Amino acid sequence: MTETLTPDTYERFMTEPPAEGVILRAQGLDFFYNGYQALHGVDLPIAKNAVTALIGPSGCGKSTLLRVLNRIYALYPGQKAEGQVTLDGEDILDARKDPAALRSRVGMVFQKPTPFPMSIYDNVAFGIRLYESLPKKQLDERVENALRKAALWDEVKGKLKASGQSLSGGQQQRLCVARGIAVEPEILLLDEPASALDPISTAKLEDTIIELKRDYTIVIVTHNLQQAARVADYTGFMFLGRMIEFGPTDEVFMKPKAKRTEDYVGGRFG
Amino acid sequence: MAPPKTQRLERPRGAWADPLFRAACAGAATFVLVALSGIIIFLTVDGWPALQKFGLGFFTSTEWNPVTDIYGAAGPIVGTLISSALALAMALPLAMGIAVFLVEFCPRALSRPVAVAVELLAGVPSIIYGMWGLFVLAPFFAAKIQTPLMMSVPDGSWLSKLIQGVPNGANVFTASLILALMILPYMAAVFRELLLTVPAQVRESAYALGSTPFEAISKVVLPYVRTGSIGVIMLGLGRALGETMAVTFIIGNSHVFPKSLFDSGSTLASTIANEFQEATGMHSAALVACGLVLFMITFSVLAIARGLLSAQRYG
Repeated sequence: MTETLTPDTYERFMTEPPAEGVILRAQGLDFFYNGYQALHGVDLPIAKNAVTALIGPSGCGKSTLLRVLNRIYALYPGQKAEGQVTLDGEDILDARKDPAALRSRVGMVFQKPTPFPMSIYDNVAFGIRLYESLPKKQLDERVENALRKAALWDEVKGKLKASGQSLSGGQQQRLCVARGIAVEPEILLLDEPASALDPISTAKLEDTIIELKRDYTIVIVTHNLQQAARVADYTGFMFLGRMIEFGPTDEVFMKPKAKRTEDYVGGRFG
Repeated sequence: MAPPKTQRLERPRGAWADPLFRAACAGAATFVLVALSGIIIFLTVDGWPALQKFGLGFFTSTEWNPVTDIYGAAGPIVGTLISSALALAMALPLAMGIAVFLVEFCPRALSRPVAVAVELLAGVPSIIYGMWGLFVLAPFFAAKIQTPLMMSVPDGSWLSKLIQGVPNGANVFTASLILALMILPYMAAVFRELLLTVPAQVRESAYALGSTPFEAISKVVLPYVRTGSIGVIMLGLGRALGETMAVTFIIGNSHVFPKSLFDSGSTLASTIANEFQEATGMHSAALVACGLVLFMITFSVLAIARGLLSAQRYG
């Protein structure tokens, strides 16, 4: 793509969720990979107990945006975010704040399943043990609850001691979801969580996501427009590092305001 | 105008050379196997008289006496195992530290130059380590560490037994120290390669749950490469076992069992290097038998290491 967007050449359309329900908010966010600017003044409001989807063509910056929200990008010295991201009113980009504590509040599940080389039980208990020291019985309960919420419990309850890496791809991904929610984060970030899964596992994972909305706030990056339409309450469409349109999913898909959004959700490019 | 029709051949024009090419490749591969079997045959045949005459005693007796023509290699065998194990114990934590630093903490601009430097260090000829050990480390060790230590420890205590010996700096401990120094860059380089095989998303997953770097590395990254780590350890051990010159310089070369950490000893390789020039008859057979034992030990260690490393790659 040779086209360059400048503030003059694109219009943006933001339909904000009700202000009192917004738990996480990015404002005027710029992002740089070793000097290359990947995000340009992005705004993103995340509503509590809702699913927010980020869509857009490859390279539009949606994964980058997600990686700012738990500061996982900070593991890499060449990457830098500028602007403001507030969680419950606190600026999380403040370099003096401990990123580990932030990440225990904003969990993340990745594109490929990443089971740790340990038992299923220990995988789920991993994050809990980092921050809490619980008696065995309570820990067992937390692990079971997380696995139930991730719709994996029935498949693994008889073999909690087995290696997490012995599960199938779809099960591994739900294990990672269970591991992510076991620490009871306020927000769960999902980076194309179904892209490596078969249709049946994908359907199960989507059910899980809708189920999780009651207790958690979810942000999901996806290439699959149907998936966004199925699971998300709000959708943001990004293009060339800009947030082009943000609003309730129905509006973005049925009555898009921006021409580019219309073209993309209508399948004319992407 | 259509191009003129040419006669198409049944086979590619270069097909005639293919059998030659195959034969050349197969020949190259066979050559290595032939050389290896030649070595094994030589070691077995020439060492056989000693193994036959002394039997199990060759492995259990510490009497190594060219005058009476009685040879027991227990001293060098144990010396080899002890010095290698000690070297490994010293080098392993440092190698892990270097590798983890390079992969996880080192600023990117520094990481590559340091990694290259470590790899270059791995190629320094062992005779240089040996010379440095003999001319610098041994005198320093004798004057500044061994002597003061022996003076300050009460006679007859278990500690004094551990460190007794002639205070000249040529002993099992300094030999192990040199060995550790030699295998350190090598192990660090391989370990670094191993850590780089951990998928970025696995590392990130550990951090994404709120781990500190120490928690992420010790609980997720290192366990992720545990099979391969054993392979790295074995490769280091394999190198330490067979190292000759540096050890010959500094181990003190006595055939008895080392009685303490600071006692002089010998290894299989250093024994062979020291005595081969003037050995004849049974003495020579005993030395070749030493070589066979060393070959067996090193070969099995390396075979195990290779197996574990490939299990890591596909596992």
